[in-house]
Amino acid sequence: MNGQYASLLIALPLISAFFVPLIKGLGKKAVKYYLVLVTALQTGIAVWTFQQVYGTGQPIIVMAGAWRPPVGINLYIGHFAALFVLIVAVVSFLMAVFSVRAIEVEPIDKYVMLFLLLMLGATGMIATGDIFNLFVFMEITAISAYALTAYNKTGEAAEASLKYIVLGGIGSSFFLIGVALIYGALGTLNMAQIAQLASTIDPTVAQVGLALIIFGLAVEAELFPLNAWAPDAYQAAPHPITAMFSGFVVKAGLYAMARILYLMQASAGWSSILGLLITLGTLTVIVGELAALRQRDVKRMVAYSSIAQVGFIAVGFALGTQAGVNAAVFHMVNHAVVKVLMFLAIGHVAVVLGGSELERFKGLGKRMPLTAFAITIGAISIIGIPLFNVFWSKMQLVMASMAAGKTGVIALILAASVVEAVYYLRLIHTMWFAGEGEKASEGLVISLMLLVLVAIVVVIGIYPDYVWSLAQRAGSDIFNVADYIKNVPLMGVGA
Amino acid sequence: MISVYYFGSISLILIGLYAVLVKRNVLKMLIGISIMETGVNLLLISIGYVSGKSAPILSEGIGPSQAVDPIPQALVLTAIVIGVATTAMALSVAVILYEKYGTLNVEEIRRLRG
Repeated sequence: MNGQYASLLIALPLISAFFVPLIKGLGKKAVKYYLVLVTALQTGIAVWTFQQVYGTGQPIIVMAGAWRPPVGINLYIGHFAALFVLIVAVVSFLMAVFSVRAIEVEPIDKYVMLFLLLMLGATGMIATGDIFNLFVFMEITAISAYALTAYNKTGEAAEASLKYIVLGGIGSSFFLIGVALIYGALGTLNMAQIAQLASTIDPTVAQVGLALIIFGLAVEAELFPLNAWAPDAYQAAPHPITAMFSGFVVKAGLYAMARILYLMQASAGWSSILGLLITLGTLTVIVGELAALRQRDVKRMVAYSSIAQVGFIAVGFALGTQAGVNAAVFHMVNHAVVKVLMFLAIGHVAVVLGGSELERFKGLGKRMPLTAFAITIGAISIIGIPLFNVFWSKMQLVMASMAAGKTGVIALILAASVVEAVYYLRLIHTMWFAGEGEKASEGLVISLMLLVLVAIVVVIGIYPDYVWSLAQRAGSDIFNVADYIKNVPLMGVGA
Repeated sequence: MISVYYFGSISLILIGLYAVLVKRNVLKMLIGISIMETGVNLLLISIGYVSGKSAPILSEGIGPSQAVDPIPQALVLTAIVIGVATTAMALSVAVILYEKYGTLNVEEIRRLRG
């Protein structure tokens, strides 16, 4: 089949979002099941793309309007994009199923529309091969995320959304200034051509432009000075949306950051940008872990933990070596699985018991044993205990930083894991050894999803080789810019 | 000698940033963001300006070689729409905030903490 069909990854959510008002005439339930159907279709297309890319070993290049890049916009679905488009689709599907039970607030049709646009934006951010197009998809993601954060219409939700909008507005302006500087210096917006011309750019422009782009993307990617919105948004947003933020919106931002960073490898002064990113990542880990330690709300605690994991990923990307990038990609995959599991389980508890404060988790082991079991597996996996998936990616991060000679990073990862152990073991203790309570109904579908996710966590933990090889191929997709340029059929314009 | 367009647009960005960081009223912060976005758009447009050329519309007497760079104009058209959408979203959030908290002072809007 023709690789151009991969453009359906963008087209399907977009056209489906436009059909939502029509479906709404059939009733509230119909809209929710429509969402499940569309995300299932999207998963199908993503699986096909994944097979196509990993089967042939060649990336799919979608050219918009058959204009060859750099004149037209192209989508570059390489190993990384194929893997993460699949993750986006699967996470969206799981959350669509969860939404059927978890979302009762009106207007449900707007929720479904924004949900689809959030999925569309994240897919586009991961697939695109043009920096201005990246900005547009980033704004689609961000504006749907602002609206979904405020969706519950409580004062807290509006407050969280306002913080997000203000930071996101500043971030996107910075990003656009960075794009303007790079366009002004190189005269192109296409990523492959930027990479080709990167060695000719003025070092000051490259540094300022890259730093501005990284600051802009750091809002989406939740790096330290710009992540104040994240815990509030995670706490106040609807439960399925929280899992989507942590599962792929953050990943899309991180990926875009890593992609642009490595495109400019050849420019002078590149290593000082790596220094900036490593500082941001380290501060993110420290602040995230210490803040998680003193939370009373479980959802907020896991949100801070999620931020800290993002810091690990950023540090991995900032090592500037192939091993570091591979480890960061592997950690992205593992973190997506584990955090979706955690937010799904915690959201489920909050829906059934009516809140996510730590007190409500007392005796959860007796009231909702399966959910408590899932949270426990997720928690010990995040701490990094062997035989669970996050252990391997933290291990790879440690090994990569050892090879890069950054011993400080190793100390950071190990110390952060100790802090994680403290607050997650406190949660596990509260669930299993405190409080009493009668059994609450858990729901078949959600139990099934939790079990599947737990199974993935354990299977990757015991047989990490397959996913590790995927991560290696995806990592070389980012790191090896020469191949990236070669794969995009650039037309000989200008340079 | 730095061009007056660059100087003006960067000053607008800085004025907007100042308003966002210093003002305490939500609406004033949103005005700051709008000013900042205007500055960014002006910066983008002035990057594409070629001295002495006319608007990039092919018509009688104006060939492709006499036009300014058309790409930044397409970018700015997109960015303006995005900016308006963000502002509309932010204003509706500000309305909800005022309904729930009875104030628009960011120092009093602090229910989420920790």
